[in-house]
Amino acid sequence: MSAASRSDLGVKLAGRAEYGVDAELPGMLWAALVPSPVAHGRLRRVDLGPARALPGVVAVGADDLATLLPRGAGDAERPIFPAGEVAYRHQPLAAVAAPTLAEARRAAAVVRVEVEPGPALIDLETAFPDWPGPDGARSPHVIAHVHARHGDVEGAFRTAEHVVEETYRTSSVHQVALEPHACVATVRGDRWTVRTTTQSPFGVREDLSLLLGVPESSVVVEGTWVGGGFGGKGASLLEPYALLLARAAGRPVRLALDYREEFELGRTTLPAVIRVATAVRDRRIVGRRVRLLLDVGASLPGRDFATGYSIGFLLGPYVTPTFEVEGYGIRTNKPPFGPHRAPFAPQCAFVAESHIEEVARVVGVDPVRFRAEHLWREGATTPLGQPVGPFGLAAALERADALARRWRSEAPAGHGVGVGLGFWSTSTGAGGEARLVLSATELRVEQGERGIGSGSVLRGLVAVAERALGLPADRIRIEYLSTAEAPFDSGVYGSRTVGALGRAIVEASDAVRADLAGRMAVAVADVSLAVEGEEIVVHAPGVRRTVRSLLRPDEASRGIVATGRHFAKPNAIDERRVVTGSFYPYTDFTGAAHVAEVSVDRETGAVRVERYAAFQDVGVAVDPATARAQVEGGIAMGLGIALTEEALWSADGRLLNPHLLDYRIPTLGEVPVPEVTFVEGFLGAGPFGAKGLGEPPIIPVPAAVAAAVRDASGAHVTELPLSAERVARTLKLL
Amino acid sequence: MEGPHAPRAVPGFELVAPASVEEAIAALRAADDGGATAIAGGTDLLLDLDDGRLAPRRVVSLRRLPWRTLDWLDGALTVGATLPLRSLEDDREVRRRLPGLWQAVHAVGSVALRHRATLGGNLGRSAPASDLIPMLLALDAEVDLVGPRGERRVPVDDFVRASRRTALLPGELIRSVRVPEPRPSAYLWQRVRPANDISQIAVAVAFSPGRRHWSIAVAGMPPRPALLPDVARDLGDGAPSDAALTAAAARASRAVPITGDQRASEEYRRRLVGTLLTRAVRAVPFEGGRPL
Ligand SMILES: Cc1cc2nc3c(=O)[nH]c(=O)nc-3n(C[C@H](O)[C@H](O)[C@H](O)COP(=O)(O)OP(=O)(O)OC[C@H]3O[C@@H](n4cnc5c(N)ncnc54)[C@H](O)[C@@H]3O)c2cc1C
Repeated sequence: MSAASRSDLGVKLAGRAEYGVDAELPGMLWAALVPSPVAHGRLRRVDLGPARALPGVVAVGADDLATLLPRGAGDAERPIFPAGEVAYRHQPLAAVAAPTLAEARRAAAVVRVEVEPGPALIDLETAFPDWPGPDGARSPHVIAHVHARHGDVEGAFRTAEHVVEETYRTSSVHQVALEPHACVATVRGDRWTVRTTTQSPFGVREDLSLLLGVPESSVVVEGTWVGGGFGGKGASLLEPYALLLARAAGRPVRLALDYREEFELGRTTLPAVIRVATAVRDRRIVGRRVRLLLDVGASLPGRDFATGYSIGFLLGPYVTPTFEVEGYGIRTNKPPFGPHRAPFAPQCAFVAESHIEEVARVVGVDPVRFRAEHLWREGATTPLGQPVGPFGLAAALERADALARRWRSEAPAGHGVGVGLGFWSTSTGAGGEARLVLSATELRVEQGERGIGSGSVLRGLVAVAERALGLPADRIRIEYLSTAEAPFDSGVYGSRTVGALGRAIVEASDAVRADLAGRMAVAVADVSLAVEGEEIVVHAPGVRRTVRSLLRPDEASRGIVATGRHFAKPNAIDERRVVTGSFYPYTDFTGAAHVAEVSVDRETGAVRVERYAAFQDVGVAVDPATARAQVEGGIAMGLGIALTEEALWSADGRLLNPHLLDYRIPTLGEVPVPEVTFVEGFLGAGPFGAKGLGEPPIIPVPAAVAAAVRDASGAHVTELPLSAERVARTLKLL
Repeated sequence: MEGPHAPRAVPGFELVAPASVEEAIAALRAADDGGATAIAGGTDLLLDLDDGRLAPRRVVSLRRLPWRTLDWLDGALTVGATLPLRSLEDDREVRRRLPGLWQAVHAVGSVALRHRATLGGNLGRSAPASDLIPMLLALDAEVDLVGPRGERRVPVDDFVRASRRTALLPGELIRSVRVPEPRPSAYLWQRVRPANDISQIAVAVAFSPGRRHWSIAVAGMPPRPALLPDVARDLGDGAPSDAALTAAAARASRAVPITGDQRASEEYRRRLVGTLLTRAVRAVPFEGGRPL
């Protein structure tokens, strides 16, 4: 990729890009949060008096909501500050602002908080030694219960030749975006404006409207550049506190987390325990059972998305004639569960793949062949009854297997090679809209996404427009607008930017073409655009017109405006298979087969990744360089989940490693440069058949590494991450 | 329960950078009772300032002192306290004559970190998981100190007391570290993540050709890295037999005062001590029972 092809590189390399943590406004105050000192308890009193007694300090707490918010206290179900139960350590109980950060922090420290500590629920298995059981759904800790089944599962297990039953455990992982959450808020009259680092300006606007009880039209979200999101910046976090303080102070207020707080307050993937069982007859899977205990932290009832959504991934992309799945979302005293790049899917793939490998070994079939024989292909049906569309996973597996065989034949002693699969779908979110403006000399894409640094907005969307209108990239400009001016879009998450917003751009491009054809009185199919000198010209058989000459007088200063839309896809799940709860329908079917070569130290259990390759179903690689970067980044993050990343809590809910020394993301030394191959031609729902690619590359990584560790050492590790000590235990060295 | 629990802001301090050793000592003394702290690379000190463990009124930078030195004299190596570890690592003689020291330096953090971090700072911090202290112990290194009452030389084993506790007296500074002789040596460690992490266990071994004895030191346990003289004796006065090595490794993993924490369990650490010790001794360049 050349520097010119990504318009943000200039400002970013020159250090001029304003990230959330850089945002400042004249006359602003600096803010700090007052965190809960306990993981669980009853709040007796928050005395802001001592803070307010300090010069220049503004403080807000639960008692102030009624006066600060136009309609009383905002969202009663999701109060900004808790009034009764404190649900997790560091939960904000109040917020303060002062002329300097030091003064704000001092003020936060003198707020008197009285909490009567209660028993904290931290560890899933101590809380539910026997699992929720038949009555589990009635436990006050179970805030989500999903259950689906199909066919005669009991019969399948009764008559099976082999039943393989296992328990897996997965760990909590953090997004570790380089830039922590940060925003600056201003309130003028009834206009609540926040400049913030976010993956979803419109999502934050909606959140704020609900939380504060003000109409969406009164809230303006201005996105700053985003220093990485990885799912962690999809919803509002700090914005309500900053806005309340700005309202109270009558001045702009800046609130940013330091990195420790980022660990303690950020929403992320939490631990889970999973039981899986598979019944096999005549070397075919005849039945599956999955039970999931998922820690959803202090999520509120009705607001858990993860439990139902995970279940499908736990079954893997495999045909099963009968199944039963049951998931419990357990409310614990940790910050609420939040999305982390392909939320919980890498962990699910680790379970699904490690288990299918175990089943194949028990049955005595080559694990790759066993997978291939059960893999969904186009026309198959998912367990929840959804028909499978074009899907490149079988093709990816075939190529991965060939490479794995070659690597295995070359591998020195102590090395092992493993294959892991993962599947995914492009999210549509709540839909969205794109607006194109064609002037005499350039095409402007007016939209409200800042992107998250991945290039999906500034490169991916440009590539879509290039292809849709046949204009060169240097004549296409992405213009970012705040929520006050941009057309609605759901956000940069769920691998949806190119897939969904790109489709809106294609539709808008078609509208531009149709408009031009109408002005020139030619057929739409005959219209093509080109750049000649400064001008953009439109060609049709026998006609050549500059865009300038086609503009009407009222368009001269701006250009021809066209819009396109994309929508959320309807649910395609067979509801007869659902007993209770809501599950996740797939928009399209994408995924990857990854190959890892590792060495395992047979005396210490230490694992080193030696080589890595990805065969990635992308439908069409709209911009290959950006796509490759997504795959490389996904692999690096996935290796962290596989080997070193694990947030640890004490029994009383204290995060034990809230810093980058003991929460270990991989360094460059642990990430081999991967071989990346795109599997194209299995077209998805995105523009030109593209499928989402932000999340899929992270999904198969822990599975591939675990398979390689098993191949190298015989260790079948059922817990993430595969730390040296865990491998050593599995090898019975301890 | 009551606050304060909010993150703190680092209180202000005065930063001075004296040009002479006398001025540096005076600057440390002038701010009485622990009110002044020396800073070399700052890779440890800044963390202590950030989390509020230390709140000095004055920070005395050592950057202008003439201590970025490395000298060989009569076979002994003297390393100035403020020499960046990266320079020590880049020195070919160090790598050839003290391979274990080179490996230990190479193990510290990352390249970027080693451009700032110093040997003086490592000793000054005196961390239980230091990679340099165990190797210095196994090399019988000594610390040269300079302070209000003049100069003195202290064996590393006497200098290091516990985490953040050393034999330094008020106003005293580490000027240099002296390694008495080249020794065949090796340093092995294990971490969850190879770079920028803290060793779960590290083992330093060295053989003194003159006195024909082994020194073994282990880091990764409280209160400080320590020599294991009994284990060293098990190894005899040359290349040990397999049986002797097995006995030494077994004794080491039994004897060390290890505990478990979130980085590794006690069991696992004991296993690592034995494994790394065996490997380190085997890695020492011997041929026909004589060190190369
Ligand atoms: C990311 C990271 C990774 C790290 N990895 C490792 C590792 O792998 N292995 C390892 O051993 N360490 C590691 N460290 C710790 C640290 O880098 C080393 O201990 C380093 O050698 C400290 O040197 P410094 O010059 O930066 O010390 P400073 O931070 O400047 O000082 C540390 C202490 O020593 C005192 N001090 C400094 N110089 C003198 C002197 N001349 N006389 C008296 N007192 C003095 C200071 O007052 C302070 O108390 C790591 C640190 C970080 C941040």
